[in-house]
Amino acid sequence: MQTKIKSERFIWIDIMITLLTLELMEYFYYGIRSVVLGCVCVGASLAAELISLRLMKRKFTADDLTCVSDALIIALMLPAAFDYKIAAIACVFAVVAAKNVFGGRLNMIFSPAAAAYVFIYTSWKSLLLMYPEPHTHTGIFEKAGSLVSSASHSFNINGKLSISDFELLMGNFCGPPGAVSVLLLSVAAIVLLFRRSISAGAFIGTVSATALLAYIVPAGVTKAGSVKYSIVMNMVLFAAIYIIADRRVAPKRGYFAFFYGFFLAAFAYIYTLTSAKENSIVLISLVFTPAALGFKNLEKHIENIRAEEAASELLQAQENADDTVTEEAAADEE
Amino acid sequence: MKNRKTSVFDGLVGDNTVLSSLMVISPVIMCGTDISNAIALIYAFSAITFFSVILGSFVPKKLPYAAKIIIYAVIASLVYIPVRTAAGMFFPEVIGRVGIYFPLLAVNSLIIVQSETKFYRMKRLPMIASLVFYILGFDAVMLITAFIRELLGSGTINGRVVDADTIISGLGMPFGGFIFLGLFCGLYRAVRSAVRREENEGGGDSDVHGN
Repeated sequence: MQTKIKSERFIWIDIMITLLTLELMEYFYYGIRSVVLGCVCVGASLAAELISLRLMKRKFTADDLTCVSDALIIALMLPAAFDYKIAAIACVFAVVAAKNVFGGRLNMIFSPAAAAYVFIYTSWKSLLLMYPEPHTHTGIFEKAGSLVSSASHSFNINGKLSISDFELLMGNFCGPPGAVSVLLLSVAAIVLLFRRSISAGAFIGTVSATALLAYIVPAGVTKAGSVKYSIVMNMVLFAAIYIIADRRVAPKRGYFAFFYGFFLAAFAYIYTLTSAKENSIVLISLVFTPAALGFKNLEKHIENIRAEEAASELLQAQENADDTVTEEAAADEE
Repeated sequence: MKNRKTSVFDGLVGDNTVLSSLMVISPVIMCGTDISNAIALIYAFSAITFFSVILGSFVPKKLPYAAKIIIYAVIASLVYIPVRTAAGMFFPEVIGRVGIYFPLLAVNSLIIVQSETKFYRMKRLPMIASLVFYILGFDAVMLITAFIRELLGSGTINGRVVDADTIISGLGMPFGGFIFLGLFCGLYRAVRSAVRREENEGGGDSDVHGN
């Protein structure tokens, strides 16, 4: 139990470190406002968590700090000049309606960050999908001067982009600030995979399905370009790391997690290809919640069957041993 | 006397049709998005349920359960016809918006389930009083839900624009309705259990004092 608690906290620390790195990159591109946005999200999440746990008559423990990482994930998916009030409402929604209403941290059904994103998407879509250009620093209480569509939007509509590989790696293009820094996201993915802080199966499944479908049914002009941009755009890489491969939601077994990620990403790719909807992988991750729950129930069922089989084998072995002892005793008597 | 009063008023708060029994939730979620919808649905629900349950109380009790349910549904469908005609005159725009949820009110759980398990086990006068409060309970929830969802989701009150700073348009969608009703139910149940606990404690104390 102690090991489990520790591992949960280590996972949170690992994820927080990678998220803070992305936040730092966001600061470099968009200035102090993006950091304040992150702080607002964290503050709102913490307050909502404290109040809702108090209403549920539970104590706030270090494990409940996962609300902070969820808040940072939300902040990184929002435009840097996003309205503070809406961000705070979304964070409260994530903690209260998407997590604690279902029983809290131990009974999570879907990623709170994904639920919050979909909540904003349905209510303030026009604000959510317009971004300031990189290197546009906005004051804390200022509004961004000019907002533009994301590179993902251009790719979904035109199937091509004029961004160099270097800019792509560094995240020097329009989009959700946390989801564009491809180099940092790749490093974060490797670190988290090696530290086993995210579900490797779900992550690999998501990336491989996107790459496979992007190669077979290219969204872009060339197959190579389609594979490259399909993984990077529409928050696929970001969602694969922080939403789909979230250990709290993804199935535990590697192969179940792989198929969960694979089908989710395949469905999201097809949906994006046919509807040109931006960042649809986050929306689809919520739709696939029953699949994750189904896999988890199947895992429990298999574990129960195995435990029963092991118990019956043990019983059989004991009975055999008793029979042998009785036979030997009878033979000795003879 | 006290118990009888409680049982008659139960439908309004203590055993609310929507919040306590989770009955007739689909019109609240799907159509309770603004006050004009809510008023039309309140009218239809109140009229259909009131007349159907009262007319249904004359159905012989000796009939098999399955036959009685079919007869209640037929009565409700017959009551629906004049109600729908009047609604067409009073709320012509709302009828189209509400769609299938309007005729579905004719087979709501209060007529089909509660009538047999609750109302027809009572004498006629207390039954009518209890029925009225059950209907008022639904009406109140519908109106409160529509008011809040319209205000926060569209920034209007009965179609009039108010100075709402932040509009949460997702609240006007079905998923927003589910979430809102879920939170409303949770709040209602928390308050109800707190009140009942207090009443029990009060009752316990009075017993002790009485002893």
